[in-house]
Amino acid sequence: MIYLDVFLCVLTVICAVAAMVTRKLVAAAILAGVVSLIVSYLFVRMKAPDVAMTEAAIGAALSTVIFLIAIRRTEEEER
Amino acid sequence: MAAHHLAGALLTLLGALFLFLGALGIVRMPDLYNRMQAGTKATTLGNILTLAGLALYHPSWALKIGVIALFVLVTNPLSSHALARAAHGAGVPLTEGSVSDALAEDLSPEGGEAVES
Amino acid sequence: MKQVLAILALLVLAFLFAGLVPMASKPGNGAVGDYYATHGIADNRGSNLVTSIVVNYRGLDTLGEVTVLFLSVMGVGFILRRREGTPKYSPVPASPILNTGANLLFGSILLLGAYIFVHGHLTPGGGFQGGSVIASGVLLLILARRDRELSHDLLAWLESLSGFGYALVGLVGLVVAGSFLANKGVLPLGTWNRLFSAGVIPIIYILIGLKVGAELSTLLDIMIREPAPEGGGH
Repeated sequence: MIYLDVFLCVLTVICAVAAMVTRKLVAAAILAGVVSLIVSYLFVRMKAPDVAMTEAAIGAALSTVIFLIAIRRTEEEER
Repeated sequence: MAAHHLAGALLTLLGALFLFLGALGIVRMPDLYNRMQAGTKATTLGNILTLAGLALYHPSWALKIGVIALFVLVTNPLSSHALARAAHGAGVPLTEGSVSDALAEDLSPEGGEAVES
Repeated sequence: MKQVLAILALLVLAFLFAGLVPMASKPGNGAVGDYYATHGIADNRGSNLVTSIVVNYRGLDTLGEVTVLFLSVMGVGFILRRREGTPKYSPVPASPILNTGANLLFGSILLLGAYIFVHGHLTPGGGFQGGSVIASGVLLLILARRDRELSHDLLAWLESLSGFGYALVGLVGLVVAGSFLANKGVLPLGTWNRLFSAGVIPIIYILIGLKVGAELSTLLDIMIREPAPEGGGH
């Protein structure tokens, strides 16, 4: 199991860097959601289910949706 | 090793195989809609098989796993349906060799002929 | 150049936080943490220690947190307020499949959220988690049922009343037991690991769950509406 954890940690860092360097806003928002999803699994592994639930519900679901809506609306304003 | 352990492990392995095939389909398929169907059908089956394997392995978890399986069975097709429809609405093109676009025919005002443009 | 800088910043942060890792893996460094770990269950009779800390020992901070959420929703509401006569949602109707699925799923998602915050003092999770689960269910409903309007009046009432209730429970603690948000002496603590136990903690967490759910639903509904057409004046 420790190998899976290390692999997921590395994947988290890769996704976070990709979210920072990508030029596409939508891709960055989705990658940030992926980071939250992996991190919530890692929280479960670290015996913190409360934090994991918060991270999965708010970080992976709601904040991604809010980012996407905000991106769509600001694009409409810019046009 | 008890018989139900062996059966559960085999079912989980089969589910993992289908999940792998779904991932392969997402990489290999030519356009978004084909990818989405690989990513939906194969992963739904893979999920259900994995969960069934888990339920065989741990019979006391069976009820909870049944609820999870029902949830996957409803949400997975639903979400990819919504995604595919949204992509169609946003104008994501079909692959070269596509024969028909039933949703465009459905949405066109004539109802039967594909929309031009 | 920017990418190199970003990676460099990450490396610096990793270097800075590397010193914290051995500290985190060592249990019981600090008197407060030790107190919570040894006295938490006896003080509050809640089997979820995290909830005891969030709602009881650090209840005032949680009140502040809920207030921050309320203020942010209010800010979004002010900035994106709807003008008269504009279409509410996208005029494209959702497909019947999405409609049926949303009708099927919404009840169970609501039930799950309510379960999470009602059992906040027993199992992992609580008001914030349950509230956000409920808000995601409401999001599904907003996406699927574009013909119906979400009643903002109802949500505002729910939100205000639960916030008021939270402060009221705190004031009752101040009057009866001598400190704001006190738990001992206000309600019977009951038996450990039962639904009706842990004094006022479940009441507060249910109120937080309702408040967070109503706030996040309002936020999503405000944001997802179509913006005003041209000529509305910005």
